[in-house]
Amino acid sequence: MPRYETPGDGSDAITSQNGDADSRIVIAVVRTGGIAGLRRRWRVEREPAEAPEWVALVERCPWDQRMDAGEQTGTDRYVWSIHAILPDEQREQVVPDALLQGAWRELVDAVRAADSD
Amino acid sequence: MSTTGVVEASIHQGIVPGYLLAKLARSSQYTRAAEAARQTLIKGRPEYHSTLQLSVDANGDLIADVQAAPTRTIYDTHSTEQLPGDKVRGEDDPEVADKAVNQAFDGLGDTFQLLLQAFQRDSLDGKGAPLDATVHYGQKYDNAFWNGSQMVFGDGDGEVFTGFTSSVTVIGHELGHGVIQTTAGLEYQGQSGALNESCADVFGALTEQFTLDQTVDQASWLIGAGIFTPQVQGRALRDMMHPGTAYDDDELGKDPQPADMAHYVTTTEDNGGVHINSGIPNRAFALAATTIGGKAWEGAGLVWYRALTSGVSKTATFTEFAEQTIAAAADIGDSVEKAVRDAWITVGVIEDAQVRDPR
Repeated sequence: MPRYETPGDGSDAITSQNGDADSRIVIAVVRTGGIAGLRRRWRVEREPAEAPEWVALVERCPWDQRMDAGEQTGTDRYVWSIHAILPDEQREQVVPDALLQGAWRELVDAVRAADSD
Repeated sequence: MSTTGVVEASIHQGIVPGYLLAKLARSSQYTRAAEAARQTLIKGRPEYHSTLQLSVDANGDLIADVQAAPTRTIYDTHSTEQLPGDKVRGEDDPEVADKAVNQAFDGLGDTFQLLLQAFQRDSLDGKGAPLDATVHYGQKYDNAFWNGSQMVFGDGDGEVFTGFTSSVTVIGHELGHGVIQTTAGLEYQGQSGALNESCADVFGALTEQFTLDQTVDQASWLIGAGIFTPQVQGRALRDMMHPGTAYDDDELGKDPQPADMAHYVTTTEDNGGVHINSGIPNRAFALAATTIGGKAWEGAGLVWYRALTSGVSKTATFTEFAEQTIAAAADIGDSVEKAVRDAWITVGVIEDAQVRDPR
């Protein structure tokens, strides 16, 4: 069964769970909202040497894209919180479900698929 | 239909076929019905569907009355996310083989009838707006939502959620968002967002109770009962009477809804916890309804509906909304006002000693 986590349990810490934190890639996706209001989290952690495809997925995302919550009409939509740590940079963005397209969608789908293996 | 003029009870005819209207218009036996039919024909066909209700009054005269009726369309995206998808059932179409399509169609009708019968509201906007819904959205999509103009149902992943169309409270909830959007327009953030969510739950619960003709004591006060798979340790998404107790599952965790203001959750997630803190006004509604007794849509439901449609601001706080409901309740009667006030006091939104504002 997929892993669901409740808010405030501290489990969404983005820092690496490996001692050599500075050199690892960590990507975490937190999904909240939806009619159920359930919080769910997916996470991948890789050595950079084995993860050029993850670096590419992260770098393709428009991290500086202006995310206007008003662009998401309707209610009970998901809200996606995406965090990425690369060896030399850290990125964070909150993406409304209606805007989870293109590179964002590819990154989220990849993290979800990898964490469900 | 009887042709003898001895019609014992109201006859509900789903749609008035043109040939029947034309025939009635020429009738010399049913003069009132003929006049009603002529008026309908003169005005042209109604923009949306109508129901022709025939009954016999105390004098034995046939009474014909045209009532609002829903205009439903169900679409199927076939596991893609391209809305609205292919049309698979319209208002005049019979049942189809796909259970989800029929469940959505019936749930839209149930919600329409609640709005019309309980609140004299003709669909979401009060002007007969069509009711559109899409089923089979996305792949293993664990959600149902209102996109601003239509309902969207996923099929669920099969592990945590079954499909979402099986719960009339879910359907009533989503259409409730449509009513809120065209009335108070509560902003979907923080307390006003939690009120938006709570009012949607109220519409969901009332739709189920109205459809089953339940009194407040018979009501489950559950939202989304039966949409979890049997593997999940939980009975519903939310429990309006007992927030925080709907589920307690090894994987999902515990229902995070607070039951009073002392446990209000401050968070940036979920648009500021709109699905979490809605537990507080949800409980106020369930408590008020239970104290008032009878059918909830005739008591607390009417109060909440009037508050929602009588000028509450887009950015209303719990306190502002509570005051609006108390004012609406006072227009109905002292005992209703006391029940509503006591409910908000119990959940900690207003204080016991608060003096009522002069109205």
